[in-house]
Amino acid sequence: MLYEHELKTFVAGTTNFFEVSAQQPASIGSPYLVDDAPQLHEYTGLINITGKRDGVVYFTAPKAMLAVLLMKMQETDFSHETMRDLVGEVANTISGNARRDFGRDFVISPPSVLSGETPSIAPRPGVRSFIIPINWRSHSAKLVVSLG
Amino acid sequence: MTVTGVERRRDVITVAIGTALAVLMGVVLAAGIRQATRLHAEIAALQTASSLQNYPEDIARELDTLRERLEIRAYSGRALADLRATVSRFDASLRATTAGDVLDAADLARTQRLWHQYDPVLAPVLAFHGQPYADSDTSGSTLSREGRAHFAQVKRAQLFAAVHAKALQDHLVLGVRRLQASASAAAAQLRALLLAGVLAALVLAAAAAYLQITRARDQRAAREAEERTRDILKTVREGFFLLDRDNRIGSVWSEALTRMFNRGDFAGLSFEDLLRDLVPATTLATAVKYVNLLWGDRAHENLMKSINPLGQLEVTAEDGRGGTETRYLQFDFHRVVGPKGVRHVLCAVGDVTSSVLLARELQESQQSANAQLDMMVGMMRTDPVQLASFLDSADAGLKHVNAILKEPARTDTEFRRKPGSIMRELHSLKGEAAALDLQSIADRLHALEDLVGNCQAKATLSGDDFLPVVVKLDELLAYLRGVREMASRISVSPQSEAVPAGDVLAATLQTMAAQLARDHAKRFTLNTAGLGGVPPQYARTLKDCLIQLVRNAAVHGIEAPEVRSRCAKSDVGRVSAEFRAAGANYELIFEDDGAGIAPEALKETALRRNLITAAEASSMDMRGAMALMFRPGFSTADGASRDAGRGVGMDVIARNVYALGGRIGVSTNPGKFTRFKITLPAVEAAGSSAVA
Amino acid sequence: MWGASANKGRGAPPAGAAAPRAPIKMLIVDDSNIVRRRIERSQQFDNLVVIGSAANGVEALEIFAKTDPDVVTMDLTMPMMDGIECIGRMVAKRPSVRILVISALADKATAVEAMERGANGFLNKPFTDRQLNEAIEELIR
Repeated sequence: MLYEHELKTFVAGTTNFFEVSAQQPASIGSPYLVDDAPQLHEYTGLINITGKRDGVVYFTAPKAMLAVLLMKMQETDFSHETMRDLVGEVANTISGNARRDFGRDFVISPPSVLSGETPSIAPRPGVRSFIIPINWRSHSAKLVVSLG
Repeated sequence: MTVTGVERRRDVITVAIGTALAVLMGVVLAAGIRQATRLHAEIAALQTASSLQNYPEDIARELDTLRERLEIRAYSGRALADLRATVSRFDASLRATTAGDVLDAADLARTQRLWHQYDPVLAPVLAFHGQPYADSDTSGSTLSREGRAHFAQVKRAQLFAAVHAKALQDHLVLGVRRLQASASAAAAQLRALLLAGVLAALVLAAAAAYLQITRARDQRAAREAEERTRDILKTVREGFFLLDRDNRIGSVWSEALTRMFNRGDFAGLSFEDLLRDLVPATTLATAVKYVNLLWGDRAHENLMKSINPLGQLEVTAEDGRGGTETRYLQFDFHRVVGPKGVRHVLCAVGDVTSSVLLARELQESQQSANAQLDMMVGMMRTDPVQLASFLDSADAGLKHVNAILKEPARTDTEFRRKPGSIMRELHSLKGEAAALDLQSIADRLHALEDLVGNCQAKATLSGDDFLPVVVKLDELLAYLRGVREMASRISVSPQSEAVPAGDVLAATLQTMAAQLARDHAKRFTLNTAGLGGVPPQYARTLKDCLIQLVRNAAVHGIEAPEVRSRCAKSDVGRVSAEFRAAGANYELIFEDDGAGIAPEALKETALRRNLITAAEASSMDMRGAMALMFRPGFSTADGASRDAGRGVGMDVIARNVYALGGRIGVSTNPGKFTRFKITLPAVEAAGSSAVA
Repeated sequence: MWGASANKGRGAPPAGAAAPRAPIKMLIVDDSNIVRRRIERSQQFDNLVVIGSAANGVEALEIFAKTDPDVVTMDLTMPMMDGIECIGRMVAKRPSVRILVISALADKATAVEAMERGANGFLNKPFTDRQLNEAIEELIR
């Protein structure tokens, strides 16, 4: 079972990235739970967590949102690689935040990136995922926290 | 300037005074010795010169004697010998005077010139060695030829001496006077020199004494300051120590450390050894690396502060009673910088155990909320079939809550739609849990309701406000899954006997009624009829309705037994619920023989809750007043107990009934009865249920 | 993390300075293209020249050997060779090099480890332009 402060750490890691990198804060939408594999967007940055908790945390965002984000970051390259790079950095930030707040209790893998039309992350049986919509400008991405 | 700077300057001055004193004494003594030597020589010379000054007269006198002897033809050998001796002594003395540089050169030259003038007259006299008399024994003595010449020479010398003795003597006296003056001047100089030396020595000694006194005073002040420091270090609650360059604790450390580390041998202890047995090796390595970094100038203070890895260090130590004790220590480091870089590292240690444990307890109280014991107790008392039925509806209800959460929201308005409908859902579930006496589940639902209530109270709502709600929801779902698992283990086959849904509902209501009667000290019977005929589409809604209505009847409707007796009523109240088909429709008639509903009481409550204005109240008719009880936020029982008072009960009923295309009617007679009639359309005509 | 600095990161020599200072050579090491370009774009020092960038530790060491930079910005989590090891090797080769760690890893043990290996500053990702420039200024001052 996840504690509120743990969830908040992951959420803060994500929203902080927008605020600092694009100088425009992201807000979070109404959080909810899913039992099965959540729908992914085109680009997903993911970290694996083991130790006191076991599971995955990922940030999944549509291409359009990433394009605007890159623009706000004064980036001129909108290639597939750059998009992957970007969600990787978001995952990296989430990981850094978690390491700072949870220390040795959490063992966090380096970020990995999924992309393409039908990526999927197999749901872990019996583990509900927290979905936190990340709203930024008119776009919406998702932070998924799936920890047993 | 620092204390040590003053001290150093003072040392330099002391050394300077000592050196000056030594040099001065050396100079004075050397000068004194020279002066004394000169004085000594002058005194010797004075003696010599003093003895010299009588010689001219002696010589003159002896010449007189010699002449007299010769005149009276007496024996002159003796007188001559005396003269010779005197002249020779004078000569020798004068030569010695010349050699000894006793007299002033000018005096000497004049004396010698005079003395040389004596030479031609004296020399013949002294050279006489014969017999001056031609002896004739008869006629006495007469001068011999030699004697006459000698006598003449003596007379000449005697006259010469008589004339010149005075001058020679004067010269000598003058020289002696000069010598005396010189000697007394030298003595005066020596005296002055010694006096000056003594004075200078006194001044220096005074300066040294002054210095010594101020030093003693400062040392006393320093000692007092040190004592004060020691007192502070003894009493201060924080741990303090200074690390020197090789990371060892210096002599300055506060007493509080003893308590924190259960040891007292801090002086000379290395920082590494201090922590060695208390923390894991990796932490120790990081801590030592960090402290080493403090000595360098690689990073500035702010950066060093921000990377301090010992902000909250968990240390485990023996508690002295055979067990171990975990403390949380907070280390702060400050560099003490001198002119030549970092001189010390000051380390402050605070014991933050209590605040850490407090935070942890908060967390653990959440965790212990998952304790399984209360779950067991509640379940053992609950009929397995009813429990399974409740778990199904709880599942459905919480899924609905999640669905409400899932609806995308960005604006305050969109967020604000959620708490109300979530509250209604939770409240209905909570009622059901309470009806089954599932205390622990009802408590959890209540806690979740509180969180949602917090959202409602917020001035502006955003997604962040719902994070606690979704976490609690997850926790509740996990809890219910646990209950389900345990239930399946306890009862052999809860689902295997196909118990009619209506019977389950009737049993649930009876359980609930009995509990409410107990809780509120009421006495009443509940009769149900036709509940088996409820179409499945209406089952959920009607269950909610019945739970709410039974609760209302038990809490508000049925009077306390003594009140009933006073009103000439049977002290056991009657509550009935009947479901039946009525033409193409269905009807639920719910009735109690309690106090009825006074429209004025409803208005008053609505006014108190700010649901209506006074003007509205006064113009409101009976029908309008009755409708008030279906408004959200209306409740006639104060306080928020588990079974009543949340104020969403009746509006849940109304909303759900309307959603199914139904109607609710109320009729009441104050003091006599209250009757609700819920009419629902035929199943075919029913719209899709909101809570399917 | 960084104390506010009165100087807003302008590293240009003061007006009237007789001769411009020799340019400071900077190497950027980060496995993310975006971050590399971002650092290059956002640094505002007139006398700072970015002489190369590398996406991992091995590449970084090659460029380091060839170009001999004065200042290095260093990511920590990278493929092939991580930043901590890379710092150690660079400092061993040239002790006077100034290294600014720019990493999402915000835990203190990592920061201490990096400093101990020879890093001179630590900047957490994500960062603003201002934070970046303050951190660089702290480094080259």
